[in-house]
Amino acid sequence: MNPLRMLLEVLRVQFKNNWVREAVYRTNFLTAVGVDLIWIAIEFSLFGVIYANTPTLGGWTQDQVYFFLGVFFSSDALFTIFFQRNFWNFSDLVNRGDLDILLTKPVPPLFLILTRWINLTAFSNFVLGFGILLKYAGPAGFQGGWHWLSVGFWLLMGVLSAALIRFAFSIWIFWTERGFAFSRLYYQFFSFATKPDTLYPKWIRYLILSALPFAFIGSIPARALLEGLSLRESLMVAGVLVGFWIFNATLWRAGLKRYQSASS
Amino acid sequence: MSLSQPVIQAQRVSRTFKSVKKKEGLRGTLELLWNPEHQEHRALDEVSFEIEAGAFVGLIGANGAGKTTLLKILSGLIPATSGSARVLGEDPFKRSMTFRKSISLVMGQKAQLWWDLPALDAFDLIRAIYEIPEKSYRERLDFLADLLDVKALFQTQIRRLSLGERMKMELIGALLHWPKVIFLDEPTIGLDVLAAHKLREFLREFNSREKATIILTSHNMEDIERLCSRVMILKTGKILYDGKPQGLIQSGERQLKVSLLETPDLPAVATLTGLAPEQLSLTSEDATEEESKPNSNHLWISLTNDQIAPTLQKLMSRYTISDMGIQGQSLERVIKSIYETESRETGSKA
Amino acid sequence: MRLQWRWAALKNGLLEDAAYRVEFIIGLLGSAAVPAAIQMVLWYALFHVGTGETPRTEIAGMTYSDLIAYTLVSTLFTQVRGGDHDFDLQEMIRSGSLSNYLLRPVGVVEFIYLRGIGGRLFTAGLCLVVGAIGMSLVGMDPTRLFGAMALAILGNILHYQVGAALATTAFVWEEAYSVLMVKNMLVQLLSGELIPLNLFPEKWAWVWKSTPFYLYVFGPTQYALGKWSHWDLLQALGTAGLWMLGAWLLIRVTWGLGIRNYSSLGQ
Repeated sequence: MNPLRMLLEVLRVQFKNNWVREAVYRTNFLTAVGVDLIWIAIEFSLFGVIYANTPTLGGWTQDQVYFFLGVFFSSDALFTIFFQRNFWNFSDLVNRGDLDILLTKPVPPLFLILTRWINLTAFSNFVLGFGILLKYAGPAGFQGGWHWLSVGFWLLMGVLSAALIRFAFSIWIFWTERGFAFSRLYYQFFSFATKPDTLYPKWIRYLILSALPFAFIGSIPARALLEGLSLRESLMVAGVLVGFWIFNATLWRAGLKRYQSASS
Repeated sequence: MSLSQPVIQAQRVSRTFKSVKKKEGLRGTLELLWNPEHQEHRALDEVSFEIEAGAFVGLIGANGAGKTTLLKILSGLIPATSGSARVLGEDPFKRSMTFRKSISLVMGQKAQLWWDLPALDAFDLIRAIYEIPEKSYRERLDFLADLLDVKALFQTQIRRLSLGERMKMELIGALLHWPKVIFLDEPTIGLDVLAAHKLREFLREFNSREKATIILTSHNMEDIERLCSRVMILKTGKILYDGKPQGLIQSGERQLKVSLLETPDLPAVATLTGLAPEQLSLTSEDATEEESKPNSNHLWISLTNDQIAPTLQKLMSRYTISDMGIQGQSLERVIKSIYETESRETGSKA
Repeated sequence: MRLQWRWAALKNGLLEDAAYRVEFIIGLLGSAAVPAAIQMVLWYALFHVGTGETPRTEIAGMTYSDLIAYTLVSTLFTQVRGGDHDFDLQEMIRSGSLSNYLLRPVGVVEFIYLRGIGGRLFTAGLCLVVGAIGMSLVGMDPTRLFGAMALAILGNILHYQVGAALATTAFVWEEAYSVLMVKNMLVQLLSGELIPLNLFPEKWAWVWKSTPFYLYVFGPTQYALGKWSHWDLLQALGTAGLWMLGAWLLIRVTWGLGIRNYSSLGQ
């Protein structure tokens, strides 16, 4: 059978298994939605307070910022649904040596790891975020029409970027037992993603568009949808993503090698 | 690959790894930063052997002797530091897809199935991973489930099964792709007598029917005695013995138990019989409580077959014997004594 | 004697933190630098970046330098507030490892707090030093920092107390993680960590005034910057004390009920 079909079949079974009675990973529905609601409310209030004092901020109107928040929350929710728990388990897998069994399987272990869990409850968070996106699309000046097709594409870019960055922060578990410092750092830098990138002074902006591309999660997709990206920017985005992919693949191979040499 | 070529070949396989020595206290921590002292640990030391297809081999050794390391090298998880290993004609560490589809590794204490799932769903994932055709999958599943008698439990979450039942499911999951080589690391650990027995029967059946090559590590002598046609004893990374289990016992010792009318003085007995003092003992693990009491006048003597008659003669010349018995050595005792002999000879602590 | 186990817990916790030195420092830098950077970016955008109109000189009575000063000084106190040991408590309840502690002759809530406070106190000292140096360099009066830090430390205790009381929901629901997360997010906003509380429009001021959270960051910062008088500080200290007393009572009640529930389940 051709390898792609095999991977798709494995993916199908992995997803199917998430729906099996008692195996479903369920966080408390109400609290999951509650936490996200509060988070959104706080971001909204923050901008609300600021916009009470000024009509635009860094070139963004209030509606446009809210549209950005909708895009960001949707992307983030998608990441939570498909990847968050898998990354969270990753350090345990390595520390406890459970990676061994996965290495004996004729499927890339990373594929098995990243497709294992789906957080179904977070779907409600996606609905929330997407609802905000829809509500403020018009007032923000989103052109609509066939542009709606690109929303899916840019949300996908957002999730992919989030996954690539998260991976780059998680991979260090191969070299240090105490990976939690990197996890903490990730969440701290993540706050940069909650504001549109044009607000930041040049050097921070450059940082979050390249080495720590948190801006790709919400800000770039929002800007792409509202006014489109210049060719230069599009190339840069593609370049950074490809670069990150290569960087991660290299680190994964190196990490695996170290894992296997260090094992007794 | 021709039938005559051994399925597993190891040539002077060694595995060492470095660990950092940390001394106590703050000073030790600081030293770690600029001048860490490494110590080398030799897990395997120039191990060589060949295994034919269909063999059932047992690996015995104390914890840290290198059994798990050897299994990990043969299954491709870790590289050998020197020497070469070949399994099914390939270098295991390359972990080619064909290699991975032909082998199976079961570690008694680690799960390979997702425990939150019912067994059937976990097996479905295995089916997808190994691309097992639907028809073969169903047939094999039925065959294995019947042999292990677990069909009724397929819909239950694995986490909720007893240890024995879980182990059976793990085994089924490990065999669904009909591997040619199976590595089992302590499969009966923690199982009760009945469950372990059932598992052994199953493994024996599978090995004889399917001619799969099986390497088993275990602390449980029953496993080794009942299943393995060949036994390798590992100690501190070296193979001490490689051959039939029966060979161990034949070359081993017998135990002579003698009841006297008086408490014997061991050094005197040693001089009388010409045996070494270590061969004589006033107690034994097999002794009952009564027999272990001091002044119970029992004497246990470890000796070879041909030493029995002369020793008895010499004893009877001085003592009155009220009772006696001869026991074969169990595999366990033989192995223990091999260990202790080795320690004595090398002068190192076990 | 009663003091001994407390001292041991403190020392133990500090040693543990010291073992994870690198993580400690990275964590500190991250939690201090990033939020401060984001805040300053907001002020920068508000005052300088393209409104197209004449750049404003003040917002809600604060100038650009006022806001920068607020950001920098509040960072000192934000480091003292946190510590997620209430999460430890709820995890212990959820996983059942609370049982180990219930058998010991010490109060578990207090024990967990003392074990975690060592690192925090060290951070507080560090912030004092850094702040004193920084403020003197800029020509501000550093002595107020001590009074401010005292309030911040009370805030730290109160923050833990609130968390400890909320953690008891883990006795009833499966987990209190989300509740504590919500609490932390609300505290972030209402303590003055995200923005100075006087930026809030007048009609919403009652929101932050009705919780004690402003005592964690906003209060100490205002006093250190000279916006609050000594009398204001004393009042704040008194208010904090009252809240702490109330929280202490709440903990006694909730934990008493919770443990009874827990033990009866035979975990």
